[in-house]
Amino acid sequence: MADVHEVPRPRIATGHLAQRIGQPVCFVGRVEKIHPTGKLLVLSDGEGKHATVELSEPLDEEISGVLEVVGRVTNQATIMCMSYVQFREDKSPFDLELYNEALKIIHEFPEYFPFG
Amino acid sequence: GGFASLAGTQAEKKQRIRSQNIVPCTVSQLLAAEQVDETFRIHDVEISQVTVMGIIRHAEKAPTNILYKVDDMTAAPMDVRQWVDTDEAGGENVVVPPGTYVKVAGHLRSFQNKKSLVAFKIMPLENMNEFTTHILEIVNAHMILRKNLMSASRMPQSFSSGGIGEMGGYGGGGSLPVNGLTAHQSQVLNLIKNCPVPEGMSLQELKLQLQNMSMSTIKQAVEFLSSEGHIYSTVDDDHYKSTDAE
Repeated sequence: MADVHEVPRPRIATGHLAQRIGQPVCFVGRVEKIHPTGKLLVLSDGEGKHATVELSEPLDEEISGVLEVVGRVTNQATIMCMSYVQFREDKSPFDLELYNEALKIIHEFPEYFPFG
Repeated sequence: GGFASLAGTQAEKKQRIRSQNIVPCTVSQLLAAEQVDETFRIHDVEISQVTVMGIIRHAEKAPTNILYKVDDMTAAPMDVRQWVDTDEAGGENVVVPPGTYVKVAGHLRSFQNKKSLVAFKIMPLENMNEFTTHILEIVNAHMILRKNLMSASRMPQSFSSGGIGEMGGYGGGGSLPVNGLTAHQSQVLNLIKNCPVPEGMSLQELKLQLQNMSMSTIKQAVEFLSSEGHIYSTVDDDHYKSTDAE
C-alpha cells in the first residue's frame, strides 16, 4: 500500500469527506471526544461539524486541542488516520475558524494552491 | 546575478521578468516550476528566493549540512538542505526535530532533475496561525504573479497582508510592486541592499544615515526584515547584508 505521506493530501473540512471516499486527505480539527478504546476520535472542523477519525493503533498518549490528521477517507466518510500531529497552542490559540476560511479560499483557487 | 547572454536566442529576446521578492510557495508549485538553464519560473516570472511552510518528516545531520524533508501536504516532502556553519558553535545549527512545523526561506535548486531547496533560514513556528496566514499569502502572491503576466499596464498595488499581525509583505521594489513593507522597513532594506562592504551594514551606520528614525525603530525593522528572510546577520548581530543577490 502506497505511503500516503508521499502523495498530495488535500486539506479539507468535514463537508468535503463524502466527495473524497478512498482519497488521501489532510484534516485539521479540534478534539471533541475520544472513545474509551482509544481507537476512535471525534474532531470538529472550523464550522463545528464533526468528523470521525479511526486509528489503526490505540492512542498511546493524551491528546487534546487541535489535531492535524493525515489519512484516507473510508467508505463511511470517516478518516482512517495514518499519522497525526498536535498543533502547538502553548503561545497562541489556533484560530480554527480562520483556518476554515482559508480552506474555502484554497478550494476556490486551486490554480494558486495546487495539490499535486 | 547578471544577465548572462544566451547564445542562439537572438530572434526572441524575451523580456526577463525577475521577482526581486521572496515568494511564498507550496511544494507542489516548486515542483511544477519550469527550469530554463539556471533559472526557475512560475507563471512566467523568474523566481529565486522562496518560503515554504511545512512539517519536518525527517532530519539527517552531516558534517557540513543538515538535510530535512519538509512536508506541506501538497506533494511528497521536499528536500531542504541547510549548510552548517562549522565555525559557529550552537544556536544556528541545532537540528530541528521531526514533527515540528517550520518556515523555510531559501533558494530553489535542481540537480539531476530533482528539485530541492537550499535554506538560509529555518524557523520553527511558534504560532500556528502563521501557517493559516502563509496559505493565504501563497494564494495572494501567485494570483498577483499571474495578473502581472496577463496585464501589460501598470500593476495595482498589492493586497498588503500588514493587517494580519506581523506577517508583512514581500519587500524590495523591483519589477513586482508586491511591497508590503512599511516605509521604515523599505528604507532600512534599501540601505542594507546598497551597502558594498563585505560584512554588510551595521546598526550604527543605519542610525547615522536614518537620522529621523530612532534606534528602536531601526532594530524593529531589522528584526522584521531578518525574520522574513530579506537580510541576514554577518559578523555579529549588529551587521546585516541583503539576501537579494545583485
